[in-house]
Amino acid sequence: MSDALEFTQSEPLTLGVELELQLLTTRDFDLTRGASDLLRAMDYDGRNGDIKLEITESMIEINTLARASVDDIADDLDSLRGVLVEQCARNNITVCGGGTHPFHSWPERRISPGERYEQTYARYGYLAKQFTVFGQHIHIGCATADDAVWLTQALGPYVPFFIALSASSPYVDGVDTYFQSARLNAVSAFPLSGQCPVLADWNDFLAHYEFLRDCGIVASIKDLYWDIRPKPEYGTVEIRVCDTPLSIVPAAALAALAQCLARKLLRERPVFHPGRALQVARYNKFQACRYGFDAQISCPEKRRQEGLRESLASLLDVLGEEAKALGCQRWLDVLRRSLFSGMSDADWLRSRLTVHQNLHDVVRDSMDRFRELRHPAT
Amino acid sequence: MVDSIVGPVRDAWTALQGHLFFLPPFPSRLDTLALLSLLLVTGLLVAEWLRAHWGWPRVLGYVVAGSVFGPPVFGWINADILVQIRPVADAAHGLLLLEAGRRLDLRWLVKNRDLLRGNVSDIVLSFLAIYFFSYLVVGLPPAWAAATAAVTMASAPAVVLLIIEESRAQGQVTERVILYSSLSAAAAFVVFVVVLGIVHAQQSNNWANTLIHPLWAGGGAYLIGWLISRLALLIAGRLPKRSLAQVFVLVAMALLAVGIARMLAVPVFLTLFLMGVILSLRDEAKVLSYTSLPEGHWMLAIILFVVVGASLPWRDFTWLTGLHALGLLLVRALAKLISLALSGGSLPLGKRLLVGVGIQPLSATAVFMAFEIARLYPEIGASALALAFFAAAIMELAGPVLCRFALNRAGETATEKVAPGGVI
Repeated sequence: MSDALEFTQSEPLTLGVELELQLLTTRDFDLTRGASDLLRAMDYDGRNGDIKLEITESMIEINTLARASVDDIADDLDSLRGVLVEQCARNNITVCGGGTHPFHSWPERRISPGERYEQTYARYGYLAKQFTVFGQHIHIGCATADDAVWLTQALGPYVPFFIALSASSPYVDGVDTYFQSARLNAVSAFPLSGQCPVLADWNDFLAHYEFLRDCGIVASIKDLYWDIRPKPEYGTVEIRVCDTPLSIVPAAALAALAQCLARKLLRERPVFHPGRALQVARYNKFQACRYGFDAQISCPEKRRQEGLRESLASLLDVLGEEAKALGCQRWLDVLRRSLFSGMSDADWLRSRLTVHQNLHDVVRDSMDRFRELRHPAT
Repeated sequence: MVDSIVGPVRDAWTALQGHLFFLPPFPSRLDTLALLSLLLVTGLLVAEWLRAHWGWPRVLGYVVAGSVFGPPVFGWINADILVQIRPVADAAHGLLLLEAGRRLDLRWLVKNRDLLRGNVSDIVLSFLAIYFFSYLVVGLPPAWAAATAAVTMASAPAVVLLIIEESRAQGQVTERVILYSSLSAAAAFVVFVVVLGIVHAQQSNNWANTLIHPLWAGGGAYLIGWLISRLALLIAGRLPKRSLAQVFVLVAMALLAVGIARMLAVPVFLTLFLMGVILSLRDEAKVLSYTSLPEGHWMLAIILFVVVGASLPWRDFTWLTGLHALGLLLVRALAKLISLALSGGSLPLGKRLLVGVGIQPLSATAVFMAFEIARLYPEIGASALALAFFAAAIMELAGPVLCRFALNRAGETATEKVAPGGVI
């Protein structure tokens, strides 16, 4: 059965971005059922990627095409956003980013039509509706299957950075969770979420996958909700820990970080101990979700903690050369500005609540922010 | 039967009055509050029973309760009681129409021109189809054919809102059913006011009244709606959004509008609907947009539909009028379905037709409008509008079922059962 999982070779370091977005009423900015009607009526030729259903009818996903440069990814995202905003207007609904909807009532969510979604609902029950959270997935192209398995694990220690930079889900069920990213708590309820185990190479991955399948735990690669996982059908490694940012610019910037990091890792092939990294991974992830830039990250090699803010600043400096080679410095600058200003999307949402004193207007502001111009400030 | 029970009690009471100084005279009728509570509980029990056993929409149960306990069958709710309870029914109706107006987003028509076309054709085709049917087939005089068309052309936003709340429907068919029913109701209000003028012209040679009465009704409703909505926004703007205090302001302002409209003999339903529309359009800062009416206003809806059920003239039913009413409903349904089918737009044909089915209800607004004309022209109004009354009566029963069917078929209602409890 291993032939069922063929690794499709792809151009190394090419990128693809998926954004899960919120569909809202224009009346009170609560989530609404709208995705299938929207898609059915959509007049779109797919020139910049795809627009797809997600698990519940209040979510919609945009996927860019596979691109070599971050600029092209940003163009795709910008164009897809434009299509979506226009189509939503025709249905009198609206769209915005953010990792969670601050006040929606999850029992009111409707499962999207389709066998896969119905099976998910049958299998996971209410978790499927609570999975109405919104993430950004970044695909990085790999030349070989072994590269993909290696990179999946090598990127593991950098997960907290992606979480802190994208954090945009401080509110759940109308209350401040005190987390910068509460979205991942909804994901971690699933039995196959978390970290990829220690794997030597592609054959080892296949053996692990077949073991899980024979034990009846997985039916397809989509059942693995790992933070980072190989995606054989696309020939990519998929980073799945980011919240959907509030606008397109940071989404493209996070893709730039992934591309630079992957280039550096694949080029230098640093020695690392995935087993040790695995021991601190859950703790570090919690720290990043809870505290964002203020997290304290455990470093297994040095056997001590380091501030995430300082480590991330160093990393962005180190990646300067990669960014120059890939032509995406200005996108890394977006992340640098966010880090040095200390204002993540989660902080911005909290600041809006201070102004408005109600979450409806906070979502309204998020909606406006999603329509911002895409180009990063120069 | 009631007298045989009450008679001896009354006699005993009167005898006791000579000995007990504190006893008041024997009550000649039920206190309004007691009456309200009886109507509420009766409507509620009948509706819950019909829903539990036959799966009927609750609003249908309220109407059935009103019809059974009203003049047509038992007569426990008689004409006096209906007059006594009418202010509460007006307030309930007003609050539901206020909500319909608040949910009407006219900006959507600018963003989606297909919807504008669909709505205009629904309004025009429905009016013309009913007018020509009433004039050519039923043989009503032109003015009364126009009055019948004005009364029955629109859908029933109040029924639609109750069905949507009950089935927790969400989606494009739901949103369009609200839009179409609200807009057609708005158009019907305007046509109704114009038709009132025509009827005046036919019934008297007093041209001043002919011109001024529609202006009084339409202009007055707009002015009251505008003033009260501005006042509501002004006061609510000083309170925290979504606070209980804002809810009280909204309800109080709605009741103020009802009261002023009643004092000045301006149509209550038109006033409250316009107030809702103005609130929706003028509230750029979203002062009241997130504030919902309290769940308790559905309690008033029970009384409203019990009253509507008791007001339906089932006793005057004749097979010919019934047949005519069915014919009217058929051409009305065709007009609405054709309008939706031809309107194009960002919904597939099947779903557009479901919108057409969902807007079939014809209810409280129509009945009250018909009463309005009948009250102004007691000699001929009631008989001339028998067709409209019967069409409304039939749709009072069929409309909620059709609306729920459309929303179910569109896959927009909640499929999971919620724990029993609560009215809605």
